[in-house]
Amino acid sequence: MRGIVVFSGSSNQALTQRVCDRLSCDPGKSFLAKFSNNETRVELYESVREQDVYIVQSGCGHVNDNFMELLIMIQACKTASAKKVTAVIPLFPYSRQPDAPFGKGAPLTRAPPMTMPSTPKTIPSTPKTSQPTTPMTGDFGMAPGITRLTEEMNGLELMGQEMFRLSGAMTGSFYDHPSTTGGYRQWVARSGTLVAELLTCAGADHIITLDLHDPQYQGFFDCTVDNLSAFPIMIKYIQQHIYDYKDVVLVSPDAGGAKRATSIAEKLHMDFALIHKERRRPDKPQKHDLMLVGDVRGRRVVIIDDIVDTGTTIIKAAKLLHENGAKEIYCICTHGIFSGDALDRIEKSYLDKVIVSDSVPQDEHTKLCSKVTTFPVAPLFAEAIRRIHNGESVSMLFDPSHELF
Amino acid sequence: MADNSIKIFTGNSHPELAKLVANRIGIDLAKAAVMKYSNQETSVTIGESVRDEDVFIIQSGCGEINDNLMELLIMINACKTASARRITAVIPCFPYARQDKKDKSRAPITAKLTANMLTVAGANHVITMDLHASQIQGFFNVPVDNLYCEPSMIKYISTKIPNWKNALIVSPDAGGAKRATSIADRLNLDFALIHKERKRANEVSRMVLVGDVRGKIAILVDDMADTCGTLGLAAKTLVENGAEKVYAIVAHGILSGKAIKVINESVIEKLVVTNTIPHEDKMAICPKLDVIDISPTLAEAIRRTHNGESVSYLFSHVPE
Repeated sequence: MRGIVVFSGSSNQALTQRVCDRLSCDPGKSFLAKFSNNETRVELYESVREQDVYIVQSGCGHVNDNFMELLIMIQACKTASAKKVTAVIPLFPYSRQPDAPFGKGAPLTRAPPMTMPSTPKTIPSTPKTSQPTTPMTGDFGMAPGITRLTEEMNGLELMGQEMFRLSGAMTGSFYDHPSTTGGYRQWVARSGTLVAELLTCAGADHIITLDLHDPQYQGFFDCTVDNLSAFPIMIKYIQQHIYDYKDVVLVSPDAGGAKRATSIAEKLHMDFALIHKERRRPDKPQKHDLMLVGDVRGRRVVIIDDIVDTGTTIIKAAKLLHENGAKEIYCICTHGIFSGDALDRIEKSYLDKVIVSDSVPQDEHTKLCSKVTTFPVAPLFAEAIRRIHNGESVSMLFDPSHELF
Repeated sequence: MADNSIKIFTGNSHPELAKLVANRIGIDLAKAAVMKYSNQETSVTIGESVRDEDVFIIQSGCGEINDNLMELLIMINACKTASARRITAVIPCFPYARQDKKDKSRAPITAKLTANMLTVAGANHVITMDLHASQIQGFFNVPVDNLYCEPSMIKYISTKIPNWKNALIVSPDAGGAKRATSIADRLNLDFALIHKERKRANEVSRMVLVGDVRGKIAILVDDMADTCGTLGLAAKTLVENGAEKVYAIVAHGILSGKAIKVINESVIEKLVVTNTIPHEDKMAICPKLDVIDISPTLAEAIRRTHNGESVSYLFSHVPE
């Protein structure tokens, strides 16, 4: 292809290679590393003057490092007179706030200690049990393995299995009952708009992403966003790899994903069920009960979700489905992050198979857990890039009957 | 006198400095939790109301720079959406300050990108210390206060270096000549310069001394000490040319990679850095390291900014 340069960030170079193979071009030559003081170092070895530049970087692994790398590459291309710079971001970082209930109490129930350096090989330990359900009272023990960094956090008490006792005065409980104090209710910062603004200020003219968690996110950007959909590929996978798929029940693990699951169920004429988190008592709002809406007795089920991160949602869903008599339980998700000890827990869970795309590199994950398989999304991105570069319509990519492979 | 109050937040890069600054001003650090989710995304929770307050966020560009930078941006953005009246980013060591020009094809100007990002996130004001190139102030559209460590360095030299009147100030490269001469003038000392030829990034080759150091104490002055290749070679050159002792005073002691080893094995008597970057772990393994506390300067700057007073005093005096 002429007039186009595709660069890869360091997060998912295998995907970029596959995309470039489809486009019959080579990935742009670049050098990505870090200086000795941990600043990101980017050197581009191909001319981008008046070219259409595509930079492929996924928001996985060490998210902040990869994000900064992406911004610096965009800036480098812009100041080198590229005609148009498009950021291809299969997994969009900060697109959702994980584990952020706004009930009374800390939203960060499972945040690991902030002490680990950048290399994601040392994944901080996460608690194996599910999130804690009782609000905190007065006394906390120091969680094991917390180094001095957490002691430096200024006077804050947090809920959760890993409870930090901070040096310095515990000036009152951070989580007074709202009815008694009526005071400030702390909140978690939502970084969505900020990330959109940063990408635009670095110079991105166009964003291509895959299955954004929150479709309204496109409105945060001033530039054009193409939110590709993995559904056609997932539908094809179900048709080709799950025998007798019309007999399978599609399950959404929460109410938010119901629309996603029903749209696929309609296209394939399959049955549908939903798992609902029901709050039991108003005085203990953290205690959830899962309820299954629909019938799965003696059936095979496929859980559909967009992101698998810690795996808690789908593991709990699988347990519930098993208790309700499901025969085989599959799970198909677009983005498989598998952070912390997710893979161990999935290995021990009732899930039979977990199918994810390669938007996040999956080589390590498939080695560690036998239940994980992947479906490729490189053809989807390659087609999108080709069509966008040639100024053609991309609507075909949303149609499952269109042959991509 | 402003009618709202100062709120000082800190990220994870250098909480000790923030505590020192807050103590100096006489307030507590504001409550915030800055951590990481299990998928490595940064999470920021602001623990108190900042509506209509004067917010100062202290975060240095050291350690895990990208993580600390994202923390800073998210905290700024969080305070902006929480209706703070003014948000000042206090960045003692400005990240990516060395990538400030396009010195070869397709090189990014990351300092400009960082400036844009800070403005876009919502910072109204930036306070920094000893910028690598003071022209970086021009990258911003918001006011930037570039404070100087020079008064603190001068105080250190005149109080802690024995026989300092027999010393002369040496700049380890041509770019720092202006900085070194201004200190030399203030102390009424002589000045020398070392000219180096650099082959690749973080690698130094030949050094040429311009000036006479025979029988004198040489004080090397620079803004950053990263891998310390420059300082080690400069010290060697000075001793070969007859200097009695060599001290090194540096504003930002990044000290990455083999720096501590180089310093320990070199002829440098003492390496003095400021606490813009945390050093507890390095002091344990490097006996030659000494630290100047610049938290009074930052605290004074914050206080004066909040009260609307002039900051010029800090360019030539160290607050007591």
